Amino acid sequence: MGILALIILFLSMIFFTSEYRTRYTFAEDLVLTGLSPVQGFLSKVGLSTFTFFQGMFDYGRVLEENEVLRKEIAKRDNQSYQLLELQKENHRLREMLGFKIRVEYSLLPAEVIARDPSHWFETITINKGYADGVEKDMAVVTASGLVGNVFFVSRNSSQVLMLTDSRRAVSALIQRSREPGTIGIIEGSPEQTGFLRMINLPPEANIQKGDTIISSGLGGVFPKGLVIGHVLEVGKDQYGLLQQALVHPAVNFNRLEEVFIVIELPFEEGQGLFEVEEDEEEENEG
Amino acid sequence: MEHKFHITLYLIVVFIMVIMLVIQGSLLTFFLIGGIIPDLLLIIVVCLAFLWGEKRGMIVGLIGGLLQDVFFGPAIGFFLLAKMVSALLAAMVSREIYRDQIIGPMLTVFFVTFVHEFIVFFLVGFFWGNEINFYFALENMFLPRAIYHFVLTMLFYPLLYRAEQRKFFYPSFK
Repeated sequence: MGILALIILFLSMIFFTSEYRTRYTFAEDLVLTGLSPVQGFLSKVGLSTFTFFQGMFDYGRVLEENEVLRKEIAKRDNQSYQLLELQKENHRLREMLGFKIRVEYSLLPAEVIARDPSHWFETITINKGYADGVEKDMAVVTASGLVGNVFFVSRNSSQVLMLTDSRRAVSALIQRSREPGTIGIIEGSPEQTGFLRMINLPPEANIQKGDTIISSGLGGVFPKGLVIGHVLEVGKDQYGLLQQALVHPAVNFNRLEEVFIVIELPFEEGQGLFEVEEDEEEENEG
Repeated sequence: MEHKFHITLYLIVVFIMVIMLVIQGSLLTFFLIGGIIPDLLLIIVVCLAFLWGEKRGMIVGLIGGLLQDVFFGPAIGFFLLAKMVSALLAAMVSREIYRDQIIGPMLTVFFVTFVHEFIVFFLVGFFWGNEINFYFALENMFLPRAIYHFVLTMLFYPLLYRAEQRKFFYPSFK
């Protein structure tokens, strides 16, 4: 009898906390804040042990890869200077045309200190919290692309819900075709863990293998233009009406070590990386 | 000894649970075997419930479940409920099995893992949204984890058994 009462109590607790809990209670915050340095330490130990053994096992390949990467960096360096020039030029031209840049972003680096071991929730824990200005729903990215968004924040750590979680839906579009109406929903692929799928694509959508998928900026949580992944295969959905695509994520979700939290800068001219919600007051010539 | 409430006992349990949780969340994520991270917390809960019986076992399950919910769950209650029921089951089984032979707790952990995972699967599906097919989960998540836990119990149960024999959980401050 007592057990039954407990079970009912816990069931209602799950219901209320999953619906209405938006932040940690004081006690939870205290525990998580106290333990985040321990998690950080253990995760460093794990990482260095892992890389040590990995390096030992394929030393030859590491050397080879190092050489290739060095050349790659030299090439990229050159490209990044060119991009910087273009960015400046773009900024200048925008000003001349009177395009407004409404919101800009800065990137706050954070380390991954834990991940959900149960596999039921695709979450990671990072070592930045509200003491560093992190808030719920902020986008989290790496240099390769979109990771997910902040879900719960404690003082010195936050939980991030990753894109691979099948509950995490993101509005996305195909970078190559950019047709209106090709916006689909990206979510975790339940049967192929680690992969994403893009659903709700109209049957006439111009999508093919190898296409890059980026965030559309709709929905308000994620800035526009962040790389999500690349299309692996395209097919019809289960009813044969809409198209869907299997997407290989740009980010390796199994090996996340360092991420960036996208923090919105209030109404200021700056050299941000991302821009969203532009008021495109295009003037028709002639 | 059996029915007295020992606050130090539960403090030690909380301490062990926190260490296990931090290890499995931060350290073991680098050493996946078959893409699975073992639930050390569940092994400890089941082993202690096996040794201590229903009442204490349940409290141990509640402590472990609550901590796991706080650390990794999006809501409070998923693991709380699953670990409480797991502890209760293990304690009930332990009445019929010898406690000083390791195969009993090993098999208990093996089967209770399925129950635990099934409860979480059901709760997550009902309250949070889950599209994973049951048979897929059974084959790719429940079974490998149960085998993993079965093997790891060989390591944990003797430690906990010896700790219990040597009154590690009942320190006296005289």
